[in-house]
Amino acid sequence: MASISSRRLRKELNEINAEGCPCGIKLLNADNFETWFFSIEVLGESLYQGEVFKLMFRFDSSYPISSPAVQFVVGPDSQAPIHPHVYSNGHICASILGNEWSPVLSVSAVCVTLQSMLASCKAKERPVDNDRYVRYAPDNPKKTRFHYDGKYPHIQHNIS
Amino acid sequence: MGNSASSSGRGHHDDSVDYGYLSPQGVYTGPRDWNHSIVTQFIVDRKLAPFYRPLEDYNDDWDDEQIMAARRELPESSDSGHSDVPATRTDSRDLSKPNGQPKRPGALKEPSRCPEAAVYRGAVECPICFLYYPSNINRSRCCDQSICTECFVQIKRTEPTATHMVSEPAACPYCVQDNFGVVYTPPSWRAGIGSEGTPPPSWPDSPKGSQHNVPSSSAAHKRRRKSFGHDSPDVVTTDQIRPDWEAKLAAVRAAVARRANRRIIMRQVGDRLIPVGVTSGRVHALPTEDGQDGGDNEGRGSRRSRRHPRSNGNSDLSQLLGQMGLGGQDLEELMIMEAMRLSLLDHEEQQRKEAEEKRKKDAAQNANGEASSEAPPSTAPTSGSSSTPESLSMTSPSIATGGRSTPSGRLAADSGASRSRSLTPVSGNRTPSPNRTVVGASNDTSSVSSQVDSEHSGASAPSFTVGNGEAHSAIPVESTITGTYSVLPDSLSMHHTDTSAPRLQGGLPMFSVDPTATPGAASFASSIFTPDSPGEPMYNVLPSSPDEPMGEPLLHVPSLSTEAGAHPSQ
Repeated sequence: MASISSRRLRKELNEINAEGCPCGIKLLNADNFETWFFSIEVLGESLYQGEVFKLMFRFDSSYPISSPAVQFVVGPDSQAPIHPHVYSNGHICASILGNEWSPVLSVSAVCVTLQSMLASCKAKERPVDNDRYVRYAPDNPKKTRFHYDGKYPHIQHNIS
Repeated sequence: MGNSASSSGRGHHDDSVDYGYLSPQGVYTGPRDWNHSIVTQFIVDRKLAPFYRPLEDYNDDWDDEQIMAARRELPESSDSGHSDVPATRTDSRDLSKPNGQPKRPGALKEPSRCPEAAVYRGAVECPICFLYYPSNINRSRCCDQSICTECFVQIKRTEPTATHMVSEPAACPYCVQDNFGVVYTPPSWRAGIGSEGTPPPSWPDSPKGSQHNVPSSSAAHKRRRKSFGHDSPDVVTTDQIRPDWEAKLAAVRAAVARRANRRIIMRQVGDRLIPVGVTSGRVHALPTEDGQDGGDNEGRGSRRSRRHPRSNGNSDLSQLLGQMGLGGQDLEELMIMEAMRLSLLDHEEQQRKEAEEKRKKDAAQNANGEASSEAPPSTAPTSGSSSTPESLSMTSPSIATGGRSTPSGRLAADSGASRSRSLTPVSGNRTPSPNRTVVGASNDTSSVSSQVDSEHSGASAPSFTVGNGEAHSAIPVESTITGTYSVLPDSLSMHHTDTSAPRLQGGLPMFSVDPTATPGAASFASSIFTPDSPGEPMYNVLPSSPDEPMGEPLLHVPSLSTEAGAHPSQ
């Protein structure tokens, strides 16, 4: 693994361990600097009350210059949230994971962003092209070029 | 890579600037694709912070010793076993430096105050790599955030891709403003390169001159609240250190244009379209060729020479060779070729089975030359129109192989391996047999030719095997291409060949996909030469050219069945 990626992730991990995750987010597994798992739920009122999802982060050696591959885990014990920007295979259409990624963002920041994406959801529905996309989707969502335009509104992110 | 490695590899001269370095210190391990000499110059000019060796951690309470200890830790912390070249490089340099850091923090004692540690006083954390640097490192021009040089050089435009042919300027990672750039305020003193003799010129932002040996200028950057335009002379932008971005973009666009310009040549057999080749698509690359080449080909007819502008000059040839062999094969084209080859094999397999069924019948008919009525396997009802022996079309003079197979064999190879540019004047070499000489083709014949061909094609990359004697013996052969009509909405143009085969009115139309219809493509259209089976005529396929007179025979292909060279597909 490249030094920058693991070095920075180690620091992020230290921070998470020291300060904890943001509310509603729990670190499930970070045994290495390649794949991390979090559980994520929306606290407070939302369409997803009571639902807990699992997020997978995959980092390549160029993290944080390049974004992590982030998706919801779809498996026996977890499903992708039904959301206009979340495909049923767990892939997420969020600009901060694509062309609006910034190396200043962190794992925690991504979690919070996704949490607020869920929290602000108005209607539980799949993306219109879900079936088509899922049929041919690559394993790694980073290989998909999502369009973050009107149909798939930007997910705003704020950098403090 | 080269630059920085070599420059720092020497390590014998002092290549430090203000206790930082001219080359990266190993934070990132990816390709170093920025322009090294430009970056070096910016560092020497103090327009960009030097590559400071980062501190893994920092605490304001630390003394010099602790700072130096943290500083030394970097190379070691690349624990995961990858060879960290920059790290070792750094070591060797340090050893050779006159005032190099001692190996051990303990040895630092002698200078009561170590300037190299002092620069890290008030160190700041780079928000991207999370490492600590002297506080005077670069600040974003727009929002005044720290960024170390190591991270700065990683930020670049999005690479243009074939599907996304734009290259937006890099945005600030902090505030997302376009045209990311940084401003560097050097310390008020100088060390290393550029420090000889003169005290620093007057920097506008330089902190009070008093802190001569106390480098950290944490006060300095706090003052700046204004932002700089990306074209300000104080700003170093990501584009400036990668001046080749425009060339890269142009290269991608050219590649796409080339691809778009490429035609896929299809042959219709029965009711199926079979891709048999792909043209170069580089047709626009070579400028006017027609004028000078005259000699050779002109004699054979102007049509041809237009078709094969490349076959003429030696210079062309060498260029061509360079492009195909040494120049690196376009992988994608190879893959297309391979896909076509597989498609053909598939098709032939089917054909072979069909032919198999009819063989006995055909054989009987062969004898009296009436086979054609039955010829086309299931698909193409060769309504006996031509009813000529063509349908049997085994190759002519039992494959005049010896002589001709060579050119054709090479052709086959070429078309596979080298973007299908045919070097040999196609039909010129052909036996101008006005009518197909259908020799009572036996399977033997075809196999002979196939051997020859395979030998040739074996030498070079994917040549596709087109057809096998057996299968195609049942297929009608046409002789000339009479019409060309073209340009469907999406620029799919077809060249129909007129044959005796009734059904298709052309028997073997050719399609060329020509999305762009690049002007100029017309005249330099390279032709593809498709090796064919003995039973099939060979097509010289022409990219459709807008200015092509309609209906003019594109090619006169007198049943070249033979030298087409049967590629066995058994």
